[in-house]
Amino acid sequence: MKEIFRNILSVTQRELGRMFIRPLYMFASVGVMVLCTVFFLSIMKRGAPERMPVAVVDKDQTSISRRLCHETNATQSVEIVLITPNFADAREAMQRGEVYGILEIPVGFYADIASFKQPTLHFYVNNAYTVGANTAYKQLLTMCNLTSGAFQREVLRKKGLPDYLIMERIQPVSISAHLIANPWSNYAIYLVSTLLPGILSLVVLMITIFAIGFELKMQTSRDWLEVAGGNYTVAMIGKLIPYTILYVVLGIGCNVILFRFLHFPVIGSSWRLMLAILLLVFAMESMAITLIGALPTLRDAISIGALYGMLGFSLSGFTYPVMNMLPPFQALTWLIPLRHYYKIYVNEALMSGPTMNTIVPMLCLTAFFLLALIASPRLHGALVNNNYPLK
Amino acid sequence: MILTRLLHSKWLKVQETCGVFTNELLRIFRDPGVLVIFFVATLAYPVLYNFIYWKDNIENVPVAVVDMSHSQESRAFLHKWNAAPDISITHYCTSMSEAEQLLRAQKIHGIIYFPSDFAVCLNTGMKTAHISLYCDMSSFLYMKAIYLSCNRVMLEDMSRIQVDRYEAMGYDKQFAWELVQAAPYTETALFCESGGYASFLIPAVLMLILHQTLLFGICMLGGTAREENDELFRLPGRRRGYSVLRITLGRSAAYFLIYLALGAVVLLGVPRVFHLPHIGDPIAILKLLVPYLLAVIYFSMSVSVFTRNRESGMVVLISSSLIFLFIAGVSWPQQMLPDAWRYLSYFFPYTWGVHGFLHINTMGASLATTAREYTALWLLAGGYFLTTCISLWIMGYRHDHLQQTSAPE
Repeated sequence: MKEIFRNILSVTQRELGRMFIRPLYMFASVGVMVLCTVFFLSIMKRGAPERMPVAVVDKDQTSISRRLCHETNATQSVEIVLITPNFADAREAMQRGEVYGILEIPVGFYADIASFKQPTLHFYVNNAYTVGANTAYKQLLTMCNLTSGAFQREVLRKKGLPDYLIMERIQPVSISAHLIANPWSNYAIYLVSTLLPGILSLVVLMITIFAIGFELKMQTSRDWLEVAGGNYTVAMIGKLIPYTILYVVLGIGCNVILFRFLHFPVIGSSWRLMLAILLLVFAMESMAITLIGALPTLRDAISIGALYGMLGFSLSGFTYPVMNMLPPFQALTWLIPLRHYYKIYVNEALMSGPTMNTIVPMLCLTAFFLLALIASPRLHGALVNNNYPLK
Repeated sequence: MILTRLLHSKWLKVQETCGVFTNELLRIFRDPGVLVIFFVATLAYPVLYNFIYWKDNIENVPVAVVDMSHSQESRAFLHKWNAAPDISITHYCTSMSEAEQLLRAQKIHGIIYFPSDFAVCLNTGMKTAHISLYCDMSSFLYMKAIYLSCNRVMLEDMSRIQVDRYEAMGYDKQFAWELVQAAPYTETALFCESGGYASFLIPAVLMLILHQTLLFGICMLGGTAREENDELFRLPGRRRGYSVLRITLGRSAAYFLIYLALGAVVLLGVPRVFHLPHIGDPIAILKLLVPYLLAVIYFSMSVSVFTRNRESGMVVLISSSLIFLFIAGVSWPQQMLPDAWRYLSYFFPYTWGVHGFLHINTMGASLATTAREYTALWLLAGGYFLTTCISLWIMGYRHDHLQQTSAPE
């Protein structure tokens, strides 16, 4: 028993030497995670899109149309960057990506509205940029509805109705939307809290494949096994210990920044989220062993790992719901650890739902370990025999 | 005499450039790893993404109803709402706590709640009738589907109710209608009409796939050369001297040739096969593709100087895909980027390439309208051409000097 611990320790020592002799490991793990954390948090600092540029085609050019512009501009979500009498100008600005929406005020708007001729407002959005377009759409829709409302209010006031009665006539129904756990519809809370663990899982996958595959490629795997006393399990544990500590520190560090310092909502237990990060790291390491075991050539395993890792972001379903994917791909999402992490995150942070909804994905994450066990004999053989192509 | 010698020497250089070009093509086609990245990944990814984002707009988001008013009005509202493709009412609950449990268990993604005085408010016309909507924020697409479809039904209903009220006040129906719809409006999605997720994201991803496969492939080729001690800055078969210009031109020509074909297939073919927006002029897209590919190739060749092994580029740069996507201002509006990041993004070919492609392909802009992006790409291509040449020259210089200093030892 003592022997085994000593062997694990010596493999770890050997690995620490390998880790720091090449800048790659630190750069690809710590460097990438720090860069991504700073990057994503700083670009979504303000949470929801504000002051999205829109254009107004003012064919009327009266005090009323100017007032409409003025009031549109006073809102938080849009900013008028172009006022032109010519629709083609506005359309070209949209085609240059300068505006996300266009509000068109028709000729004779003032005269027509004053004489009850129902002039029609038109608004256009550019869905090629979906976030900007949605923001502009909501605001322009509101502005158009308010225009009729404001007109009604003026008419009813002139007719002598008291204000409290006017409001009921202008807005007989109202919807109050309750956005659960993210009332600001903050994109950072929505995206970053899954993106960063996703990037971490990608880092874990690639570095673990590289760390094991590089032994195969450089034909140092026998030396590695020798240090471990010929024991595959000892070799694997000893090798992965320093990396695992590093990954877990990075992952928990990210979560501490998000949930403790930036106060992203956690309705349930943040400890379970920390546990989920730990399991995510283990699952990704298991997946890496599985891949390098199935394809014991560094080049192949890295390429397939990259393909699989990148698909993980889409298949985890945190931007595009899984229920809308093609059925075979819905099945494929079970093979994505990030998918299970996301389920735990939703259940713990946003919903505080039944404990089962946390336990089942956690068990799924643990199950990846079995995949690594299945692939291990083949990997062990490859480490001993070095019988696969090196490049 | 002098003229023929000049011509002869020039011809030699052209011949040598061609030699580098064919040599690079051979290296690509003899390397299965690079072939997988260049051909398999470039062609498989667009198909995979289309399969994943199969339904452009999300459909039938399950929602629950808590109707405390039990009225004809609330039922009529629900009837209309349920007809929207975005949502589907799957549960009718008797209390909020019941619905809340369903939501917490993720069986549904939204709740609509009618208070008990809903119908009374509507019919007496003394108070605004309230509807409460609870949205699951685990994916913003759920929220968008639930909120927008509900809002649409509400706005439609509202005009009718308003007209009824004015009629009750004794106004003429025509007058009431003119009052309520004082300024009617039309809404138009000018580009990308479906407003779906796939038609927004996939065109941007197509450009990213071209970018990343080139980057990874070129890094792999560079790393391989370093591993094999193949001196990239030398002409093939030579042992002395380095001819940076001929090598840069020859190698990039090989990548360019392959990617011109792949790019045309991906950018022109994929949107047509998978019914993504494609209202642009194919010739303009090809014209944009030329500087984009050149900029990406020279950018990647400059980066590849730093890769020591054939696989290390991929390990380090794999996460860059996400950064490129976000810094370009596609997934997240460009206007929301802090200045420092925005200025940095101007140095990435993807930033200009993806906007140029979206403008032409999705928004039907002409190349003249996209002049800013087009010019920027040529400038970047020129700039990165220079950095490639310089870094190759430094590599060669250092190599030769190291050899000279280490030789006597």
